[in-house]
Amino acid sequence: MVAPLVIWLVATIAYPIFSLIRLSFLDVGVIGTGGEFVGLDNYQRVLNSRTFWPSMGRSVVWVLGNGLLQTVLAFVAALVLNLPFQGRALARTWVILPWIVPAVVAVIVWKWMLGTSGGVVNMILLRLGLIQEQVGFFSTGNTAMASLVGINSWRFFPLLTIIILAGMQGISKDLYDAAAVDGANAWKRFVNITIPGLKPVLFVMGLVGTLWSVNIFDVIYLVTGGGPSRATLTMPVLIYDMAFLQYRLGRAAAAAVLMAVAVTIFTIAFIYFLAPRSEEDDEEWR
Amino acid sequence: MNEGKRGRAIRYLLVILVMFLIIAPFYWIYSSSLKVSTEIVAQWPTLFPESVTFGHYANLLSSSDYPIYLTNSAVVSFATMVITVVLSTSAAYGLYRLPFPGRKTIYRLILLAYIFPGSLLLIPLYVMLSSLNLLDTQLALVIINVTFAAPFSVWLLKAFFASIPFELEEAASLDGASWLQTLLRVVLPLASPGVASVAIFAFVTSWTEYMFASVLIISDANRTLPVGLAGIIGQYVIDWGLLLAGAGATTLPIILLFVLIGRFFVNGLLEGGVKA
Repeated sequence: MVAPLVIWLVATIAYPIFSLIRLSFLDVGVIGTGGEFVGLDNYQRVLNSRTFWPSMGRSVVWVLGNGLLQTVLAFVAALVLNLPFQGRALARTWVILPWIVPAVVAVIVWKWMLGTSGGVVNMILLRLGLIQEQVGFFSTGNTAMASLVGINSWRFFPLLTIIILAGMQGISKDLYDAAAVDGANAWKRFVNITIPGLKPVLFVMGLVGTLWSVNIFDVIYLVTGGGPSRATLTMPVLIYDMAFLQYRLGRAAAAAVLMAVAVTIFTIAFIYFLAPRSEEDDEEWR
Repeated sequence: MNEGKRGRAIRYLLVILVMFLIIAPFYWIYSSSLKVSTEIVAQWPTLFPESVTFGHYANLLSSSDYPIYLTNSAVVSFATMVITVVLSTSAAYGLYRLPFPGRKTIYRLILLAYIFPGSLLLIPLYVMLSSLNLLDTQLALVIINVTFAAPFSVWLLKAFFASIPFELEEAASLDGASWLQTLLRVVLPLASPGVASVAIFAFVTSWTEYMFASVLIISDANRTLPVGLAGIIGQYVIDWGLLLAGAGATTLPIILLFVLIGRFFVNGLLEGGVKA
């Protein structure tokens, strides 16, 4: 029963990981060429290249920016959608919409809304008097990075909203009632009941969210292609460029392995320092 | 909660703000795709189209390769959906209902597969599929999309299977039903919202996938929608009308699917989130 899926995943994940590591020690350019063992040469070249460490740095900025913005947006949305109001079930269903449309659709609409010809964001900012002339959001490094973080966060915060809502459902109502009797205000109830109650959910969210966002390729590649002048060139875009635009598969494989090492170190540290004491009930595994 | 009219008004205002952030870009796609080209790029955008035109949609269907991309995406997504549903329901049933040693470890490993970064797998999968002569085929995309959809689907099904009483299956096996009959006649009908959730998730995963489709597909005739649309963005002079119509038409099937079974999907996420 379980075997077909396990075999499938071994063939498409476990085996490829093994062959990625092998590839990183070979001198392969275009696919089907070369293949000589070159030891650590690929690693040396990647580590000494001008693009590797800045890309690692940008990936860190990318993950932190996304983590921060998405957490804030998702908490606000979850708290609001947890209030009693008419049509709540409908709102909770449709809030997920940005997450299920293709990245390319999000890219088209935001690129256009943030653009300078007919861009609605520029128009609103002009009308409000916040800017004097149109802003080219994608033409300077910092604004491009910030815009990309915004676009990506818009796509992913709905999923986090649903996950937080799910966690909130698991918190007993009695706790809130008792706190209200004791005279705790909304903020105190949030800090003392909601946040602790959400700890397991927040842990999973922090871990999985980080692994997902470090991996984001499509939005960045389609909006800026890593530009302007490499300001948004994160690790996945760098690896893609090396492999499929510069045709240096071996070197790209080495870069991918190095990224995997960094991600693994992060994952172990995250679990070691932040894992909530689990009292996992084995009941469901009877 | 004792609150007056003001509290109520604030509450609804907050809801509207959140939903505005979600919905407004979609409104903007559809309303603008009905505008004439000069109105789309006008310095001061209009909230409603001044004169409604379906010209961009007609253009999309007649003079671009959109219909080909649409067919390809539909074929790949449908195949991904069917294979994912079969693989993940049988795996989830085995994991949650049949006692065997080591299943907890296997469950964890399957979950681990889900968080494995796709950009690490891109290069080796490309090499592997090319040595199997599967580059530029839709089969290659189906294989990869199932890999990314199935682990999460197993997790999603957990909550649904957990809510079915064991007694029903025991009764079925007392009546002499095999495990396959029990699964098909007793368990699956009860878990049908879960199966629907998995189906929608697998379909959407495939429908939206860009990175692998952009390197594994070489010829224009085999391109899927995201890659095809991205090709239009990349052109020197961007035809926003065509692009917005393309974005709108690409989103429409997802919205329709969601109208039908979105409820189950989000409930599945909510249930799964509590019980995981």
